[in-house]
Amino acid sequence: MNKDVGPVLRMSDDIDAIVAAIMDDNPGKQIRVIDRGAYTRISGEGELRVTRDSIRRHLGRDFEMRQLEGVMSGFAGRIDITSEEVRWQLKPTVEPPAPGASAPSRSMEASA
Amino acid sequence: MVRMPREKWLGITRDLDWEFSYVDYDAVFPEWISGKGKVPREAWSKWEEPYRVTYPEYVATQREKETGAYSVKAVLQKSKVFEQLDEGWKSVAKQHFGAIALAEDIAQYGELRMARFGLAPAWRNTAVLGALDEARHAQIGLFFPHELIGKDPQYDWAHKAYRTNEWAIIAVRALFDGLMMNPNVVDVSVEIPFTFETGFTNVQFVALAADALESGDINFANMISSIQTDEARHAQQGGATLEILAEHDPRRAQWIIDKSFWISARLFSILSGPAMDYYTPLARREQSYKEFMHEWIAEQFLDQIRDYGLKKPWYWDEFMAGLETCHHALHLGVWYWRPTVWWNPQGGVSPEEREWLNEKYPRWEQQFGRIWDVIIDNINQDRMELTLPETMPWLCNLCHLPIGTAGSPYNDKYPVRSYPLKHNGYRYHFCSRPCRQIWWEDKDTLHDPTVIERLLAGDIQPSTVEGILAWMGLTPDVMGKDAYGYRWAKAYAKQPAAEDRQARTGGLMTGTQERGVHLEQAKDPEPGGQPVPINAKFDNDLMTQLVLVLDTDTVEEAARKVAHHVVGRRIRPRDTSLVLRVDGKPVPSGLTVAEAGIGPLDSVFVGWAE
Repeated sequence: MNKDVGPVLRMSDDIDAIVAAIMDDNPGKQIRVIDRGAYTRISGEGELRVTRDSIRRHLGRDFEMRQLEGVMSGFAGRIDITSEEVRWQLKPTVEPPAPGASAPSRSMEASA
Repeated sequence: MVRMPREKWLGITRDLDWEFSYVDYDAVFPEWISGKGKVPREAWSKWEEPYRVTYPEYVATQREKETGAYSVKAVLQKSKVFEQLDEGWKSVAKQHFGAIALAEDIAQYGELRMARFGLAPAWRNTAVLGALDEARHAQIGLFFPHELIGKDPQYDWAHKAYRTNEWAIIAVRALFDGLMMNPNVVDVSVEIPFTFETGFTNVQFVALAADALESGDINFANMISSIQTDEARHAQQGGATLEILAEHDPRRAQWIIDKSFWISARLFSILSGPAMDYYTPLARREQSYKEFMHEWIAEQFLDQIRDYGLKKPWYWDEFMAGLETCHHALHLGVWYWRPTVWWNPQGGVSPEEREWLNEKYPRWEQQFGRIWDVIIDNINQDRMELTLPETMPWLCNLCHLPIGTAGSPYNDKYPVRSYPLKHNGYRYHFCSRPCRQIWWEDKDTLHDPTVIERLLAGDIQPSTVEGILAWMGLTPDVMGKDAYGYRWAKAYAKQPAAEDRQARTGGLMTGTQERGVHLEQAKDPEPGGQPVPINAKFDNDLMTQLVLVLDTDTVEEAARKVAHHVVGRRIRPRDTSLVLRVDGKPVPSGLTVAEAGIGPLDSVFVGWAE
């Protein structure tokens, strides 16, 4: 069985930065990037993750995790999204943390 | 103002539920629409959507998506981009708008049914966002083509198609009614969000966007890939439901996926298939339909099914084999019956395109090339009447697509034939064993007669091709024509095939060429004869067709009437007599149809005497 998971991003200026962020956040992992013009498929075996920090760093501007949805036309595997991180994986072998328990360290932030 | 991160509060709001004290639970969530089946009520409290979005996030993100899609449109509206688009490509968009824009509208109801009757609060909340998504999709799918109506009335079918009885739209409507409007919400969520939206819409909305962008249709590429970002989110309802259903009732889970996958695959082989392999200009094709289907369905979706502990559908080999053939058969059928569709099919069989087809599909030449050669010769010899239909293909009682197009000519394993079923004294016809099996299981909820059945019931008057076109709502300004005005066929004009010389001298054509074996015989039979509508296949043609014979016809006359709709049109004439077979056995040519026991709706095969 093919175990590749990961996002499919639609045409956007931000693709390169997001791909670079995924590379940073999955060190040592072999990541395939297939560019088909209107979409780019990014995949790795078993699990891939990307953090908001890495995306912000590569974009050079602020980024809210929810904004990933605007460029993500699809994905392979299952997805888990928090304010700080997105994971694509096959069926999780461990129970995901209960809601509330997964709050990131940066617990309060100013909103515009 | 300080905002709590969503993780702090989402757990409470997304899953807020309460016990009823004034009414029964079953009155609020009736079984017939909530459909919990064998799954215990408490199991649904584990329903968990992995792709969590709060309402404020939803509004902010959707606003950004809409701004993006409409600002691209606003810029392009002022450009000459549309005028430069290829005519074949435009048909991809026209076909998509007509088939999909109002399907998105129906999808709102599917989502709203889950928003009301879903068995967990988190599910109901997710479905509310799903319903808002589908409203956006219907609106954008109607609005984008609207500005093009002045340039080309076929774009009006974005709005019109669903209000007609055009045959392809009947197939689409039957599919979506079956997947979204008819079933209980547990079934809906596995059929639409899981099977359809994590499977097939990826092919039509993401993969096709690659061809759209290559073809220069930035607007369309932008629109469909924007839509799919919503689908990618709300499709997760399916996985969350499937997780619970597969645990408590794996048999039901498997069946729902199996049946919805098959019918969806049938439909997509007429939507995405011709779009990718024929309508998209050759130089712009990113991958073949088969390659896209392998990427998105055979790999990604199959992984997903297995991830939920389910098996690949029982007909998987047949599905995979069909990726080589079904959409070619449907394309050829759509092209031949082009006045019956609201877009202009691109023939797509120029020598260069043919080379590409043969490279991608090694058996294409044998299975379809020789049929196209007959058509090409007719175009180049200006025998256009032979490139247009005088009857209708027989349609499948489940998928409503022409019988034969689930298989292909010269295909021993999945041949062109009907898979009939007699039930309550009536003979139903199916394109394939899976369609027949699905119909059998679901027959109590299926009541959509095919165009053929409506024709035979006298619902379509006059029962001529012209009458059928009018009944389908196709006006002369909209009826499909060859997208390129047949110029793709001209390259063959200087190299006529030797065997074609026979075509114009063959004895058979002179005997059957007279026009007038028209369908109106149904209501105005010749004296002494009663019309008998048969489901007929001729030699290695690609589909079976409705042919009207008289019970007083000799079997030889009946065979000629069948041949009339095929020979010289899609099969080359031969100087050989005909043999009519029923159930594989030759029928003596001197008998009458009545004496031979051939009755209405029977399957008949006519071939050359060897």
